[in-house]
Amino acid sequence: MNMDTAAVLSLDSVLVQREGNIASDMDGEKVMLNVKNGKYYNLGEVGGEIWEALASPVSIRRIAEIMQEIFEVPAELAQQDVFDFVQNLLNEDLVAIVNGP
Amino acid sequence: MKKEYSKPALEVLDVK
Repeated sequence: MNMDTAAVLSLDSVLVQREGNIASDMDGEKVMLNVKNGKYYNLGEVGGEIWEALASPVSIRRIAEIMQEIFEVPAELAQQDVFDFVQNLLNEDLVAIVNGP
Repeated sequence: MKKEYSKPALEVLDVK
């Protein structure tokens, strides 16, 4: 476990994709290979949009707003789901925290 | 027209 995975996230945490991932769209869903750990991931449609948003440094709150622009979802649910999903990405070391809460 | 929403999930595919 590195320092990032031990960090506590908030809606204002700013994160960005780590390098070393090859992503591809398959039937509307995003599938990704992490060349570092050799694992394949299916991010799904919504997860794929979250991943795209993380191409440049962005806060969890802003990602949730982007999801609301694309999908029919209430703000509170979008924030909670994006928060949980980004936490999973962080646990897999796929994203890095640019600045903390 | 917004797309239908579903809860995002990170699925690890067992390819190894």
